[in-house]
Amino acid sequence: MIEKIYALRRGRAHGPDRTASQARRARAAVPAVIAACAGLALAACSGPAASSGGGSSSGVVNITWQTMWSGNTLTLLSQMVSKFNATHPGIHVTESNIPSATGDAKLLSEIAAGDPPDVFTEWNPVLGEYAADGSIQSFKPYLTGSYAGLEKWLYPIALQGGQYNGTLYALPMSMNSWALYYNKSMLKAAGISSPPTTLAQLYTDQAKEWKISGSKLDQIGFYPLYESAGSPFEYFGSFFGAVNCFSSAGQYDLASCAGAKSEASFFAQYDKYPYSSVDGMETAYGSVAGGDDDAFVAGKEGFTMDGPWEGAQNIPVTNSAMVGNFGVVPFPNSVGGPSTFGQGNYNIIPKGAAHPKQAFEFIAWLAGYQNEAFNSQIDPKGGWMPASPTVVSQPAYKAWLKANPWLDVFVEQMSSPLSVTPKLTKTESEFLTAEATAAEDIAEHTKTPQQALVYIDQQANSGAGG
Amino acid sequence: MQTATSPPVRAGGARRATRVGRAIRSPRARRLRLGLLFISPWIVGYCVFYLYPFLASLYYSFTRFTGIGNPVFTGLANYSGLLHDSMFHTAVFNTVYYTVIEVPFSTVAALGLALLLNMKVRGQAVYRTLFYIPSIVPVVASSLIFVWIFQPSFGIVNALLSDVHITGPAWFFSITWSKPTFILLGLWGLGQPMVIYLAALQGVPKEMYEVAALEGASAWSRLRRITIPMISPVILFNVILSLVLSIQYFTQAQVIESPPGSPGTSTMFYVTYYYQQAFQDLHLGYASAMAFLMFVGVLIVTVVLLRTSSRWVYYENENR
Repeated sequence: MIEKIYALRRGRAHGPDRTASQARRARAAVPAVIAACAGLALAACSGPAASSGGGSSSGVVNITWQTMWSGNTLTLLSQMVSKFNATHPGIHVTESNIPSATGDAKLLSEIAAGDPPDVFTEWNPVLGEYAADGSIQSFKPYLTGSYAGLEKWLYPIALQGGQYNGTLYALPMSMNSWALYYNKSMLKAAGISSPPTTLAQLYTDQAKEWKISGSKLDQIGFYPLYESAGSPFEYFGSFFGAVNCFSSAGQYDLASCAGAKSEASFFAQYDKYPYSSVDGMETAYGSVAGGDDDAFVAGKEGFTMDGPWEGAQNIPVTNSAMVGNFGVVPFPNSVGGPSTFGQGNYNIIPKGAAHPKQAFEFIAWLAGYQNEAFNSQIDPKGGWMPASPTVVSQPAYKAWLKANPWLDVFVEQMSSPLSVTPKLTKTESEFLTAEATAAEDIAEHTKTPQQALVYIDQQANSGAGG
Repeated sequence: MQTATSPPVRAGGARRATRVGRAIRSPRARRLRLGLLFISPWIVGYCVFYLYPFLASLYYSFTRFTGIGNPVFTGLANYSGLLHDSMFHTAVFNTVYYTVIEVPFSTVAALGLALLLNMKVRGQAVYRTLFYIPSIVPVVASSLIFVWIFQPSFGIVNALLSDVHITGPAWFFSITWSKPTFILLGLWGLGQPMVIYLAALQGVPKEMYEVAALEGASAWSRLRRITIPMISPVILFNVILSLVLSIQYFTQAQVIESPPGSPGTSTMFYVTYYYQQAFQDLHLGYASAMAFLMFVGVLIVTVVLLRTSSRWVYYENENR
């Protein structure tokens, strides 16, 4: 190419002496360069085709796994991939990470371009929309032979979380469970002998722990409207029977759902506390330690509703002074027994994945199916709940529970018939966004609880935008 | 069968072909080809990464599209949906609010800073460096730092206000104060326009100031009559740049506010809402309509600014 350019320059310099062949070469150079550049640009866009391309001459099928994690979890994922590759000589997994929402956008682009990863880990509530669109593959064809018993092997809430219209589209590699954490020293300082067992008691106890002077907030008792900084309606829903409130026509219908009304009233109880100050404190702590920190971990909050990772990972990693200074009890509820909101880290096979069969094999292995021993060692490291009671019964998991008895609450809730998983719907994303806004509106006194519920229904049911 | 008029036609065709051939081989054409050759990487990049996405986005704005499968043509439904979308109205209001205050505020502040840093004082280079450094701090990092600086209970700003018996607001976490706080945060990145102003200030001929001083012009008069007119093309450039960036305001609000757009909907900026529609709710058609409206909005504002600039921008080499 360089020679061609020099030839062009020489040709221009020599003017009439330029030969016909030089001119032809020069003319040929222009489209050649453009074509080369276009090729380079397209090659740059197409990404690592070789990695997702599949098989190799050695008979090993290469599959790609795309996740949205970072930090400690990423280290665990690498360990899992190494173990899988070591024990499955016919499949080789390559893992890549794209941060949160960017990961979703990348996945969509990859599917549209016909070059998706074989496996994608999704925690955003878009599985229903993906399934409805046909952008993810059903697992139905693979639930035969040695996988015939997989669905029954799962916790019911783990199974429900991966089903759209009764068909399995996703399997969790780990599950979440939620309970009430309390700060022991704060409880003692407030003169409270034991953690609360009713919602009324929780309200009374936490009220003794707030420390506010003027507009300065030093300590929070409990503040449900900020919990998990996302959609408190959904996270607390199982404690009130407020998950899956649908009308007979299949529309979201929280406004006439007794559980949802009860939950909204529970939130409204706390609106007398300074939301902006709580928000400021939680955001400040949440902006450090990669989001592992929060007011409870920092020792600035008396009670919090959170999952096992709070005690298993966030506290030891971020504030070791809190280790041994917290306890966990079931979150007081109005449904009459142990209950949790089932949610997990689900793996899906995108439409157009090159090796769905091998991808499914990997996904089932990640869930711990026929891999219980290894899974029971990994779950504790991530502070995760297993997807199946079979994993819990493994010696490694039992040893972890014995060393951390506060985890029993989370495990017990997983198999409770009162635990629920939100139904996958086509507009769950809109539903969650509306929930977060409605919870804020209650906190900011811009909506009454009932108005907030009506707002959620409107947004979620009209959420099929263009 | 040939007609009597055939030969002249062939001859004329041959003449045209010769003319075309000469045109192709002319030095001008060769220069054009060479020029195209050298800019071809840019042409390809522009077509692949700008022109095609732009046209595709325009098409998607008339469709219902989730990113997967085929877009379904819905005509103007997305645009009419935006007209009735109260959150869209809020996002437009918040963005206009931010832009209308931030652009003049940051322009005056950056220009003022550049004027100060243009003064011959000891340690001038050190001051210039100090004021420029913040603009090279990554936006996400500086945003997280400002969460702590403006933290309502233990942030340094409210601690200082408390020392003078003023109760500070909740800043980013107050519906009333969130947007003004983001405008204050915008001052952190003034280094970039400041450096451009500084370069422009150094290009103003010193003789003008000397003559003005001999004529007894005051400092204010020199600023108004010499400095500002002489650097007005640079002010126009910075204002347009600042305007476009303000309309596209996103990163800081997305990083700081949880959930994005809060408290209430006070920080739901245009691009925040666009991002939510496109990448959370997968309404790519709707988001494309938003993107196209934003493009039209920016285009109109820029054209208006450029058209009216003849009234206040002075170009040395133009005849008036």
